[in-house]
This record gives sequence, C-alpha cells and structure tokens, in this order.
Amino acid sequence: MNKILNIFLSFVLTAFFATSTFAATKVVWWMESDATTDPVVQELFVDAFNAEHDDIELEVVFKEDINDTIRPALLSGSGPDIFDTPGASYIKIYQDAGLVKSLQEYADQYGWQDKLLEWAYNSGVFSGELYSIPKNYETMIYFYNKTLFEENGWSLPNNLEELEALAAKIKAKGMNPYAYGSTGWQPTHEHLVGNYFNTYAGPDNVYKALIGEKKWTDPEFVESIELLRKHMVDDGYWSGGLETYYSLGWDDFNGEFVNRESAMLMIGTWGFNVTATNFAESSDDWDWAALPILHPQAGDRPNYQLATGGTMSVNAASKNPEAAAKVIDWILSDRARVLSVTGQLGYGAWLMPLHYEDSDFDPNIDPRQKRFLTEFAEATGSGNYGYTTWTFYPNDPGVHIWKDMEVVWAGDITPLEFMEESQRLWDKAREDDALVPVGKR
Amino acid sequence: MPKFLTNINAISWYFLMPVLFIHFFVIAFPSILSLLLCLTDWNGFGKINYVGLENFEELFRDRIFKKAVYHNFIWTIMFLTIPVIVALIIAYLLTGIKRGQLFYRLVYFFPYILASIVNCLIWRYIFHPKHGLGGWFENQGIDFLSKSPFAMKETALYAVAWVDMWHFWGFLVIIYLTGMYQVDESLYEAADIEGATKFQKFRYITIPMIRPIFILSLIIIIIWSVPTFDYVYILTMGGPAYSSEVVANHLYSQAFQRMNVGYASTIGVMMFFYVGIIVGFFALLRRLGWEV
Repeated sequence: MNKILNIFLSFVLTAFFATSTFAATKVVWWMESDATTDPVVQELFVDAFNAEHDDIELEVVFKEDINDTIRPALLSGSGPDIFDTPGASYIKIYQDAGLVKSLQEYADQYGWQDKLLEWAYNSGVFSGELYSIPKNYETMIYFYNKTLFEENGWSLPNNLEELEALAAKIKAKGMNPYAYGSTGWQPTHEHLVGNYFNTYAGPDNVYKALIGEKKWTDPEFVESIELLRKHMVDDGYWSGGLETYYSLGWDDFNGEFVNRESAMLMIGTWGFNVTATNFAESSDDWDWAALPILHPQAGDRPNYQLATGGTMSVNAASKNPEAAAKVIDWILSDRARVLSVTGQLGYGAWLMPLHYEDSDFDPNIDPRQKRFLTEFAEATGSGNYGYTTWTFYPNDPGVHIWKDMEVVWAGDITPLEFMEESQRLWDKAREDDALVPVGKR
Repeated sequence: MPKFLTNINAISWYFLMPVLFIHFFVIAFPSILSLLLCLTDWNGFGKINYVGLENFEELFRDRIFKKAVYHNFIWTIMFLTIPVIVALIIAYLLTGIKRGQLFYRLVYFFPYILASIVNCLIWRYIFHPKHGLGGWFENQGIDFLSKSPFAMKETALYAVAWVDMWHFWGFLVIIYLTGMYQVDESLYEAADIEGATKFQKFRYITIPMIRPIFILSLIIIIIWSVPTFDYVYILTMGGPAYSSEVVANHLYSQAFQRMNVGYASTIGVMMFFYVGIIVGFFALLRRLGWEV
C-alpha cells in the first residue's frame, strides 16, 4: 500500500514541478478595444505570436476606454504587463508616479532606437529613458473629390489666396469647402487649431513655443487663431457653418463628403480607410494632398504634423517585464507583418512608426496610400514636420486648446485672450515639470 | 450567548451594519479624502503637495465654475417648475381615469427606464439638422429647427434640460399618483356635496394632502440637480463654448481631462456643502413644524 502511495506521490510531485518549470510565461496586454481592429490583432498578432512561442503565452484583453480602466489598476499595483495609453502626456504622469517601467535596457538590448523612426522613438523618452512606444502614427492631410475637381477645373491650393479663391468657387456651386463635425468627439477642434498653427505660424515657431523659446501670445499664433475663427465662423468652411459643424458626427461628415455636399475633407490619416470604402460605392474618385501652406513664415513646402495615436508601455508592477519586452520586440521586428495588419485596417490603426522599405509593402497596396507612406517618411526624414497638439501638449494646455476654441468661435473671447490663457497654462505645466518630450529640431 | 447579541433593540443595528460598512468605504471614506485632497495639487497619480487654500482662491476666480454654478441654478429652477407642474396635472387627470390608466402610466414612465444614452441618441437624432425634424421641415420649405438646439449656445442648456425632463417627469407622475391615491375619498365626496369644482378639489384637497410627498419630490429635484452630469456629457459635453457646462461636468473635466484632481476635489467639496445646506434647510423646516 505504501509503495503505491509513494509512486502516486512521486507522480503528482513530478507533474507539479514539470508544469511549474515548463509552463509558458503569461503576458497580459490591455489594449484599447475597437470592433474592427480587435479580430485582426487577435489573429495576426496574438495567435501568430502564440503559435511561434512555447515559452510565452500572450493574452490580449480588449478594453473600452482604456485610460479610465488602466488608472485604478496601476494605482493599486495590479493590472496587465503591457498596457495602452492615449498618448505621451499620460506616460509622463505615470512615469512621475513610478507606475510605468523604463524600457531602456530592452531598447538597448533589442535595438529599438534603430527600428523606430527617430521622432517616434524620442516621443517616448522621458528623463533620458524610453518609457513608451507609439502604436500608430498619423498626420493631418486633406482628401478631395478628384472627379469633382476635374469636372470644375479646380486646382489644389498652395497658399492662402488660392485656398480662399477655391473655397469661394466651391461655395458658388452650392457646396461646402470642407466636410467635418465634432459631435461625439469635442477634441476634433484641436485638429483644426494644429493645422492652422503649423501651416500659418509654421512648425519652426511651434517648436520654439513648445520648448519655451517663444510665447504662444506672439502674433503668428494669434493670427493663426484669428484666421481659423474667420474661416469657421465668418466663411463657414466646415459643413456650412459653426452650428452644423457642431451637429455632425463621423458618419455624417464622411457621408457629406462622398455625397458631393463638400468638396474636401480635412482630417487625419485615419480617414484613409473610410474614404476609400465610401468612394468604392461611388462613381467619383478621390485623392489626398498635404495641407497648403497659409503663410510664408510656415515654409515653402507642405509639412506633415507628427502625431502618435496611442502608445504601449510596460507596467512597473509587471512580474514578467522581460517577456513583455520580447512581445514588443517581436512586433517591432517584422515590418511586413505590421504592414499586413495595418493594411487590413486601411492604415488607420497599427501603422507603427518603423523604417519601412519598398519590399515591405503588399504589391496590392493602394498607390495613394503608398504615396502617403513614402512622402511622409521622406518629408519627416528631412526634418520637414510639424507638431500636433494631442502628441506634444501637456494635459491642461491640451484640453484648453479644444475646449476654449469654442469660446473664441462664440465671440466670447478674442484670439489674443485665448492664447494668453494658453501661455498661462504652458507656464504652469513647465513649472510643474509636466511637459512631454519634443525631439530636437 | 452575550446579552448584547440578543438584545432586540440592537438586532436592527446588526442588519444595518453591512450597508453602513459598504457606505463608509464607498461614500464616506472618499468624501473625507476629497476634503483633504482639495488642499493639494494632486494630479491623480504622483506626489501630493499641500497648497493650502490655493484651490479655493482659484475656484472663486474660475469663470467657468461661476458659469457652471449659474447653469445648475437655471437647471434646478427648470426642473422645479416644468416637470413638476406637468406631472401634477397629469397625475391628477389620471386619477379620474378608470380604464386604461395602467397604459398611460406605462407610457409616461417608459422614458425613465431607458438608459440616458438611449434617450440622448433619440433626441440628438430628432434635432439632427439633416436627418431629423429640421431636415423634414426643410423639405416642406419651412426653415424651422434647421440648426440643432444642442449646437447653439443660446439654446444648448435648455435643449439638454428638455431631454432630461422628458425622461424624468414620468417618475414624478408615479410619485404624485401614489400620493393622490392615499387621499381620503370622503374629502372629495364632501367637496362634491358642497359643489366644489375639479380645480377647487385639486387646489384645496389634493395639494395639501400630498404636501409631504410633494415636498419630498422638490428636495429630490434640488439635490439631484447638483450632480447632474450624464445628459450634458452625452449631448453637448458642456458646449458650445461652455453654454451648457454644469458643475459636475467641470469637475469631470478638471479631474479626468486636465488631471487636476486636487482642484476637482475642491469643486466636489463645494457641491457637498451646497447639498448639505439644502438638507439642513429642509431639516430646519421640519423642526419648525413643517410636514416635510
């Protein structure tokens, strides 16, 4: 009886230790949920990773409003190994509170600085160490109804005079120059503010203001806001007027654009997917262009604003940071796979800022999309880039930009008063050491 | 068994203790914490620095806060009048209906059981300038509701309040109806003998007899108007240009968008004191012999 018991116990103990020793390390990743993106990520990243690895098991938990979910988890010392955030300004807060792990040793070990575009890598460097990696990069452009432009003999504008002349012609045809709206996403306003800062005041001035060498109250910024106010309120460029702009949501303004109610759509590059999809059912053709430069001080060629759409970081409380870093490196190391994922998502998500080469692209890629990826890389590589507010602004001045822009449009404050408040909030953020990294220009 | 465990007077306290315990951790503890946080510049994560009364000084300079307080005041006045008057009249009329009353009660109460997001989406669609009533009127050649009232700063607050009132007044109908059924029928019979009109019976019998429940409804409205948030957040996010911003929205924006948790706590403390004053006021009325 004792012999049987001994054999049984030996078997149980062996099984226990074998399981403990050889069980795969589990890495949990909390990711912002999106109905379109989730299945693609699950199949091409999660399932593919798990199929290739016996030592690590990756589990992605898709969460709504990740920023609200992750906060209590981090504060309580629990949460996942890897987590998403909406942007660098949140990482700064997490880093100050010691809630996010430095990735510097892994960046050095795996050579992430060489894998990522320089500006994108720098956007995650705080106090000299890497804390986050952008999941996606984007910029502001405009789409236009190519067929409509050809029918009317309209040309793409290159400066303010040409833009205003074109807008007048479009309005004379009973259409709106641009389709856009802010229902459901009030921060939409900051897209427009950023566009005017970068195409009127110019990226050099924006950079100087970001690092504190210029005041936001300087004339070029005040004039940018005044021009935006004029185009929005007096001229009704966006969907016919301020009130309509406030009333339209994503589906509304995309519908307006494809239905010829508006000739152009000034939006981020996340608009590629929906534009291509909508126009596929229309007899019209579309194309895109970089935003026209509205003042000579902004340079003599179009610039692309840098923006990261969401980041990934490792929880300071993670018990498996090495395994988490391996997961991140696995994603960063295969450009073709990243392009395959983002390609399935219309290049609107998971377009990671990597050094893509021609051979990485799917031969069936839409040439307009490929032209964007190539031109963006060339322009930003040669230093011709601007700055979006949602990537380079700290929280308080960032919220002010979109919340209080409505007050300017309402005529309750002047553009100068608006920028004075902006400067005050920037001074406070600088004093509180709450600024986010801006790579040297 | 110890006597205190079997003391009949203490048993009810034992049953209340779990709720009290949960309440302490969910309500009292965070409230006390807020009282302390309002003296700091905490951003919700990092170091907590004591800043004294700086947040209160900032609060009294904050033009958005002042605007939001004013909007809350308007909001309260609207809710104390429109839905109360409508609900009283409808409830009184319903008492005279013998057949099909349940149907009416269900119809009026239905918006109250709908999630706020559903109510908001319905009304956002109704007021949509292209697909809603505005679009329909435009097709008839009439320029009416061509701009959404949620998108105009002159009307945004009232439009949001309208949607919330539409969802809320059915609840008041049920409360008042319940009160009206408690009224002794013999009072109405006596009034009938005296030849009282329907209005006189409403004015001199119904209203005085349902006064406790009526006052309770007013207290509920005043208190619930302070933290009102969801309808404003979903429909306008306080815009355009803060024209529909209420105090709770401002608090949310400060705490979760601007990451000024210390300052947001100051706003919360002010809301707490305001509700405290209201409750104290009604408690005083009760001590003075009012049936509230």
